[in-house]
Amino acid sequence: MKKKVLSLALACAMVFSLVACGSDDGGSTPAASTETNNTVTSTEKTDAAPVESADFVDGKFTETRHITVEVYDRGNDGGSDPTNNMYTDYIKKGMLEDHNVEVEFVAVPRWTETDEINNLLAANSAPDICVTYSYPTIQTYAAMGGVLDLNPYLEQYKGELGNLYAWLGDTNIYWDQDINDGTLWAIEGKLANSRRILTFVRKDWLDKLGLAEPTTRDEFYNVICAFRDNADTLLGADADKMVPFSVSYDVGWRAALLIESQISPDITDKEFYVNGFDDRKFTENGTKEAIRILNKWYNEGLLWDDFALYSSGDTSEDDMIKAGYVGAFQHNWDYPFRNGEDSIQANLQRLVGPDAKFVAVDCFENAAGQTLKYVSSTAGDRKLFFPATNDEPLASLLYLDWLSNPEHLQYLQIGDEGVTHNVLDDGAIEIIAATGNAIQNSGQNIDMTIICNGLSLMDADLTVKSAAHNYANVDTADVEKAIKLAETNMKKAINVKVAVIEAEEGMGEALAAKRDIVYDNAVVCSVEDFDKVWDEGMADYLASGGQAIIDERTEKWDAVYSTENIR
Amino acid sequence: MAKDSTKPITKKKINASYLKRYWQLYLLLLLPLVYFLVFRYAPMWYVLIAFKKYSIVQGILDMPWAKNHGFEYFIKAFSNKDFTNSLRNTVVLNLLDLVIGFPIPIIFALILNELRIKPFKKAVQTIAYMPHFLSWVIIYGLALQLFAPTNGLINMVITNLGGEKIHFLDDAVTWVKTYIGLGVWQSFGWNSIVYLAAIAGISPELYEAASVDGAGRFRKMWHITLPGIKPTIVVLLIMALGNIIGSGFDRPFALQNNLAMKYAEVISTFVYKNGIKGLQFSLTTAVGLFQSVVGVFFLLMSNWLARKLGERGIW
Repeated sequence: MKKKVLSLALACAMVFSLVACGSDDGGSTPAASTETNNTVTSTEKTDAAPVESADFVDGKFTETRHITVEVYDRGNDGGSDPTNNMYTDYIKKGMLEDHNVEVEFVAVPRWTETDEINNLLAANSAPDICVTYSYPTIQTYAAMGGVLDLNPYLEQYKGELGNLYAWLGDTNIYWDQDINDGTLWAIEGKLANSRRILTFVRKDWLDKLGLAEPTTRDEFYNVICAFRDNADTLLGADADKMVPFSVSYDVGWRAALLIESQISPDITDKEFYVNGFDDRKFTENGTKEAIRILNKWYNEGLLWDDFALYSSGDTSEDDMIKAGYVGAFQHNWDYPFRNGEDSIQANLQRLVGPDAKFVAVDCFENAAGQTLKYVSSTAGDRKLFFPATNDEPLASLLYLDWLSNPEHLQYLQIGDEGVTHNVLDDGAIEIIAATGNAIQNSGQNIDMTIICNGLSLMDADLTVKSAAHNYANVDTADVEKAIKLAETNMKKAINVKVAVIEAEEGMGEALAAKRDIVYDNAVVCSVEDFDKVWDEGMADYLASGGQAIIDERTEKWDAVYSTENIR
Repeated sequence: MAKDSTKPITKKKINASYLKRYWQLYLLLLLPLVYFLVFRYAPMWYVLIAFKKYSIVQGILDMPWAKNHGFEYFIKAFSNKDFTNSLRNTVVLNLLDLVIGFPIPIIFALILNELRIKPFKKAVQTIAYMPHFLSWVIIYGLALQLFAPTNGLINMVITNLGGEKIHFLDDAVTWVKTYIGLGVWQSFGWNSIVYLAAIAGISPELYEAASVDGAGRFRKMWHITLPGIKPTIVVLLIMALGNIIGSGFDRPFALQNNLAMKYAEVISTFVYKNGIKGLQFSLTTAVGLFQSVVGVFFLLMSNWLARKLGERGIW
């Protein structure tokens, strides 16, 4: 009997809750509620301009506005609080003084940023200004109506945004504009330079073994073989920890130069674009051969056996590099120099010895003998967008404008003299290791300067002069060499302006995960199994949406361009 | 007439005085009831997403219905190789968990029950419980330290002794063994608590009587202890069967890696990756609904079977 009563109560409760939720969603009178919604939005739109101008005098709001801004949290050892440090204070103070806008920073973990921003967007709690490297994420939310179209706001407020237009230019601002309806979901932050990725080799090991710096792939192979064979000499008791060439689970990035060297030098813009959805060049012609080489190397004991077990954000591999067990790797052109006291170079010198260091080399040549580097143009780096929940578009645009002011940009990049930088005799700016609140959690403080990636001082000549001094505790000659090599044989990306590729919607994450699985498995399988593993993996990737994207890209290219090359 | 009218009044009186006396208890009951309403029943409304084209900005009633009479996403799911693959993995891993993981706590409880030295018994029990309190992320951290091919302690010992590396984590088949093994290690101690409690409830007279009749340890175990805890075993088995295509999220998610993904992707991680990361909310809600429906079906089936076999079941 009691059971029956209880179950009846629960059943009632369920019905009740269903009804309650229904009315929450405006379920009882859907027609009426949508109508009111419509009127609200339309009045907002028509009223927007006059209300704002009454509230907004001489570039300043009469009443304090509040915006939230995403900032990456890199979880650096001993870094400063990403949402509350010397630079956030500078921004907050400046924005309040110049525009009467209160700025609040929201930390988002750097290495899982896409997941995190997805969660925030889905929960309607994303910051007013969001930053991401992933355009597909923005596109997906835009398709659901979750992102503001920036075009009308830019048109309306262009007069207030002089710095932003001067800094980014129409190229970066309208890079992602839809060719059909003019909608603009995101602005591209500017890459101050296009340096991308380099190969690094342990200089002290080369010297110890009497080897020259490699200039071709064969020489590189000989070098890493020599590292493997001389592990006892190089590492002594730790010989079993030797990793001649280190890649992570993200093979497509950490072997990017090898992969790109296998792409035909004669590849057309069309072919490159059509296969270009995957930013790790998975479906480009030639990638398979590159991974075949890596697979061979893996089976010869040249790679780290455990690489696939450590996923995004894990520092195990970095720790191995810092501890001196790794002979060579590919990564961002300034990777060994980053992070001041905690940089790879600084750690090596502390833990291994004063001679221990990595040096940049340029040794992955393509069929034409060129060490080509596929780099971005000024766009293609971080994208800035406003979620639909942003009800302060003007204040948010003013924030971007404020950052674009060269003076502000320079301060955020180099901080105070004596604290974060010294001025050298020739006027060049030398970055020194800061402490406490003044620590920049990212190179050139790029997490703070979301409209800019790379050093950009008010004086262009000074920027060039200072570039090599931009890393604390690092030999400037090493940085200069890295800069030179990273800028050798650059092939800049072009902006292919075609209609939105619908097949790409929502596929970014799933296909990227699949790609990494294929890459990882193809690297570790036996040499005999390689073709099977790769072909099966690729077939699965294509069947899961990859082919549809390629087909639609081909079709939309043909609809806009009549030639294969548009450079 | 008079009789009829007095009867309800007295009943009402009893109810009123009953309520008056025990209203605190009902108030206490309200708390879990509200919890169930808010977190268990209210969200059920959103299964509708499985039949609609999801949009982040629209209310659930405003979203348009999915194609194919609302079943578009179910069709999509079952024609998606990744889903059928993760369905297979879920079932296989759960069956292995059941076959290997289910009897071990029972055996452990039986053995523990035979121990006569109290402090030793308590120590063993506590040590066996401990892993239960570790999160799977920590267990994966431990597993990496122990089982990684080059940096793992066990493989270091093996290679230093001249043996071949064992690919505990980076070979798909061996990964399954590691997965099951870690699962058993983590939970057998904790799961044995219920059985130990059931064993404690068995009347000592039965054992005494059996001793008088000359029964040894194994006889007593077989004829008294096991039948004594049979109802508990059956209830737990029914619940385990109800969960055969359900799966926790943290264990597979923490343990999986790209090299084992062929067998490591299960429904819950599939839903996370495609739904939350890939933003295909409708598809994954459909998958979740399917999972629940099959789960309920299994639960009812096994309950029915248990009753057929003369056990009490859970209803």
